Amino acid sequence: MVENNKNNLHIDHEAAATDRAMFGFWIYLMTDLLMFAVLFAVYSVLFKSTQGGPGGSELFSLRLALTETLILLTSSFTVGLAMIAARRFNKSQVLFWFGVTFALGVAFLSIELKEFAELIHEGHTLKINAFLSSFFILVGTHGLHITFGLLWMSTTLAYVIKRGLNSQLVRKLAMLSLFWHFLDIVWIFIFTIVYLKAFV
Amino acid sequence: MSAVGHEVKQSEHSTTRSYVIGFILSLIFTFIPYKLVVNKTVTGTALLISILVFALLQMFVQITFFLHLGRGPKPRWNLYFFYSTVGIILIVVGGSIMITNNLHYNMMPSDQTKKLLNDENIYQIGGGRTGVCQAQHENHRVNISDGLVSPLYITAQKCDTLTFINNDEKYLEISFGLHPEHDAYAGENDIIVRSGKSKTITLSESGSFRFHNHLQPETAGYFTVKEP
Repeated sequence: MVENNKNNLHIDHEAAATDRAMFGFWIYLMTDLLMFAVLFAVYSVLFKSTQGGPGGSELFSLRLALTETLILLTSSFTVGLAMIAARRFNKSQVLFWFGVTFALGVAFLSIELKEFAELIHEGHTLKINAFLSSFFILVGTHGLHITFGLLWMSTTLAYVIKRGLNSQLVRKLAMLSLFWHFLDIVWIFIFTIVYLKAFV
Repeated sequence: MSAVGHEVKQSEHSTTRSYVIGFILSLIFTFIPYKLVVNKTVTGTALLISILVFALLQMFVQITFFLHLGRGPKPRWNLYFFYSTVGIILIVVGGSIMITNNLHYNMMPSDQTKKLLNDENIYQIGGGRTGVCQAQHENHRVNISDGLVSPLYITAQKCDTLTFINNDEKYLEISFGLHPEHDAYAGENDIIVRSGKSKTITLSESGSFRFHNHLQPETAGYFTVKEP
């Protein structure tokens, strides 16, 4: 009886700690969202300032942007499946789904870097005009988040492989998955406001 | 958002289902705006509003089915914090766009800049050509040998280029206007041309002009730049 109570108390304590940690992380995400909002505002204001140079419709490939969107969307789905496995403490499934997410993240990032490299190779660099500056800063900041997300994912997965799943690691994975969903939502707006809007 | 271990076990099936539903809806809300833009079934403002609406729908789908926002224990501080963030975003983004649109409307900065560049005949800023002379046009050559200018008179179109070629032993200092008080031509003044070398300027200012070698003022020539 006493044992049982202790156990319940322990679970409650853990749950409260998880809730607090998740709320703290949520606050970080919201402030990050504010930063992205400012970058979106800057882009919306400056996207016409091409100084006579080519605009988005001449520089972007919609097909490529759609591919990026589908990859990131799928990775947001697989990270969800990974979290379901994590809450069951199913290590092999966690590694599998996070592995898929990681691979999709790398694919997304390589497409983005290829796009950037082609633009820069053709002379459309950050310095040319306000439109390109705001484009590279906005999309690049998102890409940087993806890069850090991938780094974070690889280190956390290394922990999972080494130590196995425990409630603390599941909490870390939950934050990671939240971060990943968040980046997907930000990308939806990049896809719409930067890529789709350029062709309207 | 976060949930306690034993609760999750019960709702695991529904969680999987929510991810699948969210994923399918997200795919639909990605393809519809993409097709709308590619096929141009609607255009202009209607198209813009439609793709923005689909982006917002997509956001709500992901918040509901992926983030499970609002399903945590009450009070839902994360939800309230999310709402306040959205409020700030609306003020910042909406406000910035509104203010700058007004600014564009009232100031017309691009037209003003163009006018200024045309008036001042500034054809290059920081190495890049401005709107005045974007394309290269015809090149005219002036040979200077033994202090004599040939041809003495040149007629050119606006935006053509003019090359001074120095065939003498001494360097030239090409100045415009009358000696000794000089005027600048299209921002150019006192152009040094070394012996055996040449210098090219863009004729971005129209009118009739005289040039001379500042070191030997009797070496002089004329050029007329006509508007196309």
